[in-house]
Amino acid sequence: MSENERRPLRIGKEEQLRVVGMHCATCSTTVAKALRGVKGVEEAEVNLASGTAKVVVSGARLRDLVEAVRRAGYDVVTERLRLRISMNPEDSRRVTELLEGLDGVVKASVNPGTGEAVIEVNPYSTSAEAIVEALRGHGFRAQVISKAAPASAGELRGYLRALAVAWSFGLLTLYLQYTSRPLLAMVASAPVVFYAGLRYHLGAYRAFRNRTTNMDTLVSTATLVAWLYSAYSLAVHGPVFFDAASLLISFLLIGKTIEAYIKERLSGEVVRLLPSRARVIRDGSEVEVSADEVKVGDLLVVRSGESIAADGVVDEGKGEVDESIVTGEPMPVTKSKGDPVVGGSRLVSGFLKVYVTRSGERTYMAQLMTAVRDAEAARLRAQDLVDRVAAVFTPTIIAIAVVTFLAWHFALGFPTPKAVLFAVAVLASACPCALGLATPMAVLVSVHRLAKRGVIVKDGEALERVKDVDVFVFDKTGTLTEGRPRVKDYVELQPGVMELAASLESLSSHPVAKAIVDRFGARLRGSVKDFNEFPGDGVAGTVGDRQVIVGRPEFVAQNCEGQAKGDVAVCVDGRVAGWLSLEDPVRPEALELVAKLKSMGRRVIIATGDSGPSAEAVAAALGVEVRKGLSPDDKAELVRSLRQEGHRVAFVGDGVNDAVAEKEADVGIALAGGTDIAKYAGDVVVMNLKGIELLLRESRIATRKVKENLAWAFGYNSVLVPVAAGLLYPAVYLSPQYAALAMSMSSVIVSLWSTVPL
Amino acid sequence: MVVDPVCGMEVDESTPYKTMYKGKVYYFCSEGCLKAFRRDPEKYLREGPKGMPG
Repeated sequence: MSENERRPLRIGKEEQLRVVGMHCATCSTTVAKALRGVKGVEEAEVNLASGTAKVVVSGARLRDLVEAVRRAGYDVVTERLRLRISMNPEDSRRVTELLEGLDGVVKASVNPGTGEAVIEVNPYSTSAEAIVEALRGHGFRAQVISKAAPASAGELRGYLRALAVAWSFGLLTLYLQYTSRPLLAMVASAPVVFYAGLRYHLGAYRAFRNRTTNMDTLVSTATLVAWLYSAYSLAVHGPVFFDAASLLISFLLIGKTIEAYIKERLSGEVVRLLPSRARVIRDGSEVEVSADEVKVGDLLVVRSGESIAADGVVDEGKGEVDESIVTGEPMPVTKSKGDPVVGGSRLVSGFLKVYVTRSGERTYMAQLMTAVRDAEAARLRAQDLVDRVAAVFTPTIIAIAVVTFLAWHFALGFPTPKAVLFAVAVLASACPCALGLATPMAVLVSVHRLAKRGVIVKDGEALERVKDVDVFVFDKTGTLTEGRPRVKDYVELQPGVMELAASLESLSSHPVAKAIVDRFGARLRGSVKDFNEFPGDGVAGTVGDRQVIVGRPEFVAQNCEGQAKGDVAVCVDGRVAGWLSLEDPVRPEALELVAKLKSMGRRVIIATGDSGPSAEAVAAALGVEVRKGLSPDDKAELVRSLRQEGHRVAFVGDGVNDAVAEKEADVGIALAGGTDIAKYAGDVVVMNLKGIELLLRESRIATRKVKENLAWAFGYNSVLVPVAAGLLYPAVYLSPQYAALAMSMSSVIVSLWSTVPL
Repeated sequence: MVVDPVCGMEVDESTPYKTMYKGKVYYFCSEGCLKAFRRDPEKYLREGPKGMPG
């Protein structure tokens, strides 16, 4: 029996890994290939810009995934946790198995002697708290001893160090070579080529071992050919070009460093909103703790200018809070006792004591970060093209370089050094990197920009799909309207009917019930008996000695005699006794949004469960089509049939009872009232209707950026390679170091261009 | 316990799937049965339970 069969199923659905060491399109292809090779992996997507891999598995073990990535020569960011577990030594085997069976655990080793466990986990899918909790569920008490920070940063630092070495020795090489001291130039260039350039040689070796090629293959071959040929040339007193080899590395590193800086700045952005320290009241006095130690039930002390460390409710004090991270609204909101506050928002002025209601992974910010990370790993359609190109890119370039050398040397009779320089320039000028970065960078930037304005993209591909949507279906109540209906007018066939209705409705929590009670009072509430509520239909019961039914006219009609009208009808003792019509004010931003969508040529449909005239009133106010009396399933059916007609459909709903329709649509947009992102079903969660406009705009920007980035990347290569090959020689000549500079700039331009808003 | 008029299954009165027809309350095992009943209550009351609606 293989180990895989003996082990419990490790991962049920999807695992996100952070992969270290990838820096070009072919790297991500290699990692994806390695992951797909693991038994039980159904799908693996690797995103170069965010450095993440999204793996859909059934039955594969996390450990196998991590090992596959490591075997391919890359690394996965894992966190090492140390726990002290109260257990008997003989339990250690069971605990080990238990731990290794948990989601997100790569490896666990338990020391039976000390009861200490060292657990390697994927910090993106589990946490120390979750593990302690799981152990407790199996009857083991556990305590975290230490928690080491994930080693993911430092990419930038590594590049900076290499850059410093490359430039100081590179300039020295240049000086020595031009003052005709080639032997010293060789010595000075060695640290550049072999130390600063080490990552490229290692990458090339890694690729070679995996029987593939990548950008490192090009760079490594180019520099080694240049350097080794110069060394040989030095021995036979020929011309040398150590400067080309070392400047090539130096220029490449500039590009890489800028790229790493942009990436680091982007991924740190959301995290920085949360403060790292927080002050809480413990045992009556104020103490400063690390923000991740804040627990539910703590009392946070927040002073003006500070960020709030966790979600909670104001317990004391008053202040102006900037909640733009949630709502996208720049205006601060006044908060006082009893008001909810969201972690990551900032107290602009005042003083608050906040009772923490959600901490750690349950906070809005933690959910936001998870959502953003998921979206970053999106794979847009353009990526398929990139992958196909990247796979043949390097071999093609190497072939061109060889042909270049042969052509210049043998066909045109140029001396070997010159022909070598042309070949090296070809290798140095070509790079699949920009190609690989084009799509993910654009998505990354857009997803982040939206998140900062309260639009949470949970599925990055939705960003691409939403721009093609031609039909927007909106839920009415609570989405286009405020969801707080009022009684507009009413008809009583018998006096006092509405008071009976209100008394009955006072036992229901439905918004319509509230409207009726608000208008007519519930004087007879105490005398209601046999109350029965029929969800979606209405209520029935005995008020005093009268049999009363209040509900949708259709519902009332099938139980009563007489003609039921209005939005809500009332039946007393078996006869229709009155009806009323409701109005639910249309949100002001709904008018704006619908007008905007229509001006963009989009079709707008209201799908509502209401069947009365108020639905038509809203549709008339907005000037759109309406489908009335739909159940949640009917809404999904509507979306399905629209799609069958060939439309691209977005469904916008309040995310709870519209979940089915949102799933069915090309893009499901949930209008969130709260901060529990995980609760909402849509591909995108918006805090208000304005978010939809932002989403549409950002979708257009992102798709345009992808195209522009690809154009840059393709354009760069198709111009640079022929020039480097000497097509325009002697008018334009590109020496290897400038070819490398130009090439490295292509990635930088793609990265920078993605961050420019327009 | 009461009987679902659509599928004939016994259901508890605490079920959320219920409706009122001609003043009498009917209980259902699922949303499917409830919807089937709503579409044509007379049929089920006249002809008796028909089994789970497809």
